[in-house]
Formats: sequence, structure tokens, C-alpha cells
Amino acid sequence: MRSMNLVDAWVQNLSIFKQPCPSKSLVGFIHHPRFEPVFLKSRRRISSHGVSAVLTGEEARVSTQRDDAPFNFNAYVVEKANHVNKALDDAVAVRNPPMIHDAMRYSLLAGGKRVRPMLCIAACEIVGGPQSAAIPAACAVEMIHTMSLIHDDLPCMDNDDLRRGKPTNHKVFGEDVAVLAGDALLAFAFEFMATATTGVAPERILAAVGELAKAIGTEGLVAGQVVDLNCTGDANVGLDTLEFIHIHKTAALLEASVVLGAILGGGSSDQIEKLRTFARKIGLLFQVVDDILDVTKSSEELGKTAGKDLAVDKTTYPKLLGLDKAVEFAEKLNEEAKAQLAGFDPSKAAPLTALADYIAHRQN
Amino acid sequence: MSLLVNPLATTCVKDVHGGRRSRSGLLSTSVKTRISAVYTKEDKNPTWAAFDFKRYMVKKADSVNKALEAVVQMKEPLKIHESMRYSLLAGGKRVRPMLCIAACELVGGEESTAMPAACAVEMIHTMSLMHDDLPCMDNDDLRRGKPTNHKVFGEDVAVLAGDALLSLAFEHVAVATRGSAPERILRALGELAKSIGAEGLVAGQVVDICSEGMAEVGLDHLEFIHLHKTAALLQGSVVMGAILGGAKEEEVERLRKFAKCIGLMFQVVDDILDVTKSSHELGKTAGKDLVADKTTYPKLLGVQKSKEFADDLNREAQEQLLHFDSHKAAPLIAIANYIAYRNN
Repeated sequence: MRSMNLVDAWVQNLSIFKQPCPSKSLVGFIHHPRFEPVFLKSRRRISSHGVSAVLTGEEARVSTQRDDAPFNFNAYVVEKANHVNKALDDAVAVRNPPMIHDAMRYSLLAGGKRVRPMLCIAACEIVGGPQSAAIPAACAVEMIHTMSLIHDDLPCMDNDDLRRGKPTNHKVFGEDVAVLAGDALLAFAFEFMATATTGVAPERILAAVGELAKAIGTEGLVAGQVVDLNCTGDANVGLDTLEFIHIHKTAALLEASVVLGAILGGGSSDQIEKLRTFARKIGLLFQVVDDILDVTKSSEELGKTAGKDLAVDKTTYPKLLGLDKAVEFAEKLNEEAKAQLAGFDPSKAAPLTALADYIAHRQN
Repeated sequence: MSLLVNPLATTCVKDVHGGRRSRSGLLSTSVKTRISAVYTKEDKNPTWAAFDFKRYMVKKADSVNKALEAVVQMKEPLKIHESMRYSLLAGGKRVRPMLCIAACELVGGEESTAMPAACAVEMIHTMSLMHDDLPCMDNDDLRRGKPTNHKVFGEDVAVLAGDALLSLAFEHVAVATRGSAPERILRALGELAKSIGAEGLVAGQVVDICSEGMAEVGLDHLEFIHLHKTAALLQGSVVMGAILGGAKEEEVERLRKFAKCIGLMFQVVDDILDVTKSSHELGKTAGKDLVADKTTYPKLLGVQKSKEFADDLNREAQEQLLHFDSHKAAPLIAIANYIAYRNN
């Protein structure tokens, strides 16, 4: 299957997760020895060799408009990941029968950057909501992300033996249990969100449930996976199809993460739609920058074989638009994304602003 | 219309000691059976005999089928929708939706309020069968006489179509339910999710898997599997209907108990029939359980005690309904009796 999970590819490139930030020490679990930055296949295999330190102490700080306290993106990401990990651990405790809970926990707590939960929390906070209102939903999106990976790895799908350097779920527990663990995580995501969200009006929780379900079904995640399956082995996939796959397989759940947070945080319809647009822009931005980097960086800088897309004659943004226009397009997307955040309190908007900039300016 | 279904449809039965239990039959068929008389002179309860159960079932199944058809329409990407529809609209008695609607009406709610939930439980039942049929699970080529989903569409699509049905079930209840307060809809969603997850349906399936090849499966173990694999979603259906219909707490709990009893009773009667009826009557190979040395209620308790157990369960189930208006309770009483007295 031609998988395009760009978020994981991005995260893989997020060097704060790869090497110590020179001026900060990150908590242990980020540099857990098991952690290996190989996630879902992107259109290109990205190895971890020779990754240059992108996120230095300076870059980790994004100035807010007020400029009184530069925002520490590193620290923010780590803090949120910690919080979410604890919540996930508590939520999916080992109960009877232990085997299924073990299987669920194996994949869910395998380590992961918790990008989607972070987006959910950041969106909740940007509209003025408390983190606590978003935590169950943040956990839910991570459970769903996890279950989609478990099913994706199955022999009848991508047939992967390893994920993040560890044996995949079905290799450890058997295919039957892996299928069921995925189903159970999907069900539990909804159960948890519906029953554990506190301090939020029921109508909003209901709207959030509907939004999440929609994002992962046949108009979302599954749609992307199915079309991706159809394209396997096809070198001449048009840009429309590529975008369809990307938007549905990757961006849909990202978008839902943001929108869920905004709904649960008490956002107005206008705010929710702005944040939805923001999510779509950064989703596409990942893709474009990915393509550009493949053309412009040397193998060493990227840590992988550059020019691979050209070599295999894949359809990419630089190929279709030319490199200059592709770069312009990326900048435009970044600006448009950040424009959606203009109406919000700048200090609350800082995490999402930092994220957009990071995606746009990453070097690998 | 074949209302009375072959209890042990041709779904896989890995018949070794404590082997995999087939997916229960009221609830999935691949073989048409003769309709045996539902209303005979031996009907125990004259009140419910006057209730036209057959007509009720047909009418509800019709409504549910129409609703399902409307919810899962053909659209792009075509293959996934085709796969979903293939299994969802394959026929089926729509017992779970019917229970959901009946429970809703029992407590004073409207069918229309429960319909999205009724569709949801059928979607979930369907997806669990689709996943169950996969090569890595029961590995069935046929279901209800037709090729299984993965045989037609491929395993990958079958896995995804199942996932899609699961999420659609939640989406549909969340966005399409009318006539019930948001808190209730949320609660119903929570109940649904719980009944099918790692402490519900999936739990039963996993324990069933783990029981394969076990030399001795005790009564507790057997009950665990049945309560989770079969009864849990039945409970979910009934409880959802009750909550959406506006039931009070005690009413919800009574109906939960009702569903648990009939769910378990179904399996017990299944086992008894396998021992006591001829192949001809059953429409399938009788004595299959014995031959395969599967753990069953008659094997553990003997036929007589199993029958008594089934009777006890029926009584306990119907006791829960005594607290409700008997006219409104008629459908549920009829279902309980149908399960208890069926001949195949």
C-alpha cells in the first residue's frame, strides 16, 4: 500500500524527539532507547541517519506578538505528551480478560509523539477552554490513530512486522487478537470520550463524537485507506488522487483532533471553522514541504536518499508547479494557516502558531 | 419470510474441547428453515398469544431495513460502500434493532427516536460478523448461504468496511437521533461502546479464542463467553432503547437484566436442541456438539437440568417485565417465549 502518513513522517523529523535540545533536557521517555523514528511509511522511507539538529535552543522559541515570554515549543510538546500518556495509561488499564487489554496497551503505550492529542488540547486552550475538557477526546484520537495503525499493519493490509522498531501487534498477539484489539480501541475511544468528558455541555460532547466518527469513516480515514489500497503499485497517480489520499488518510484525523478541541473548549462556530481551516492548511503544508525537501536537500541533510521522488517519477508539488512555485505555495499555506489564528489571544495561539512555523521551516 | 432461524447457522464451529463457539443463531443464519408453529395450544401465556408476534417482527424488520438502506448509500469510494452494504443488507432478522425499538416503546418512547440506535446495533452486529469471518478468525467462506465479505471484496476491504461500520454506528446515533435529550444520547452511546468493547463483545471473542484446545471448560467460563459474545450486544440494544425512550434508572436496570437472561437462555436452548432434536427438525446436523465433544450446558448439567435452567432464565427475564405495562411489554414477552420454546 502506498501509505502517506505524513504526520508520522513529520514527527519522525521533529528533531526534538531525536536528539537532546542543546539547552534543555527532555524527559526520559522521549529518548527511551526503544524509540526509533520509523513510523508509518511515507511515500519515501526516511531513515534516521545523519539528521542535522534543526531545532536548536533558538528555534525552539517562537516569539509571541507581545514578546514578553518567548514560547517554548519543545517544552510544550513534551508537557502535553506526558499528560496524555498518563491519561492513556489510566484509561486503558489491564482488566479481564487481560490478553485483549495487554494487546491494546502494547500498541497504545508504545511511545508516540501524541501529535494529535496535542493539537486537540491546543485547540481547546486557544478558544479558552481548560485542558481537562479536552483530555478524554485527546486520548480518543490517539486510540483511533493507534487502532488504524494496528489494522494497517495486518498481513492482509500493509503486512508490517515492525513498527517503531518493535514487533507489530499481530506478531506478538496473533492476527485475531490484533483485529479485535483494534476494534476494542475504536469502541473504547467513543466510550471514553462520551463518559469521561467533564465540564462540557452534553450537546457539545455529542457534536464532538459525531465529528470524530465522521472523520474516521468512509468520508475520512477509511476512504483514504481504501483509495490508497487501490493505488498500490501504480506509479502514475494523479495529483488529485494523491491529495485525496493525503486529505483522508492523514489530514482528516488531524482536522478532527483540532475541531474536537475547539468544540469541547467552548469555541463559537466561527472559531471552530477557523481552526478547521487551520488544520487543513497545515495538513497540506506537511505534504508540500515534504516534496520540496526531497528535491532540495542533500541526502546527508535529509538523512535519506534525496531526489528519490524524481528518480521514481512520482507526482509531487515541485514536479507539477516547479520548485519555486512549490516553495511559494508552502509559504502561502503557512501564512494562510496562521491567518486563521489572528483573531485569537496570541499567547493562547502560540502553540499552534509554533507548529505551523515548524512544519513550514523544517529542514528535514 | 423465514422468521425462525436455524440456530446453528453454518458459521464456524471449531468443535474441540471448549472450542470456538459459533456466532449464535437467532442472530445469524445461513440456512432457511421451516417455520415451526409459534402459536400452538401449548402457549403458556394467553395474553401474548393474542399479540401477533410474527406481524410485529416483519413490520419492525421492514422499518429497520428501510432505515439501513438509507444510511449506507452507495457513494465514492464505491468499493467500501459496496462492501458495507453487502453484509449489512444481506438479510437478517434484525432482532437487535427490534429489541432496541421494543424497549424504547415499552418505556413510552417513539420508534423514530430509537431508529438510529436500532440501525447502529445492527451495523455493529454486522461488522463483528465480518471480522469474525476473516481467515485469521473463524475463516468462514459462507454466511447465510452467501460468500463472506472478504471472499468477495478481499480481506483488506473487509477489515476496513468493518471499521467503517463501527464508526458509522456511532456517528449515526450522535447526529441522527431526535426526541431524546443530549445527555441521554450520550449515555446510550456510552452503553453501546461498552457492550461491544474489551469488557463486552470483544471480551467474549477473546476468551473464546483462548479457550481453543482447552481440555475442560467449566460452567463459569462458558457463561462468560456467552454473556459477552452474545448477551452483551443484546443488552446494549435493549438498554439503548430504554435510555433513549426516557426510562428511569430502575427501568433501565430491569431491562438490562431481561436482556442478559434472554441472551444466556438463547445459548442454553441452542445446546439443548442440538442434543434433543433430529437433524431433520433442526435443519442441520444434530448431535454435532456431542460428536465434537464441545462444552455445552447439557454436557455440564445434563439435559434435564439444562431445560430447568432455561426455564429459570425465561422466568427471570419475564419477571423484569412485570413492572411494565403488559400491553407495551407484549413484544418483549413474545421474544422471550419464542427463544425459550423454539424447536429449531
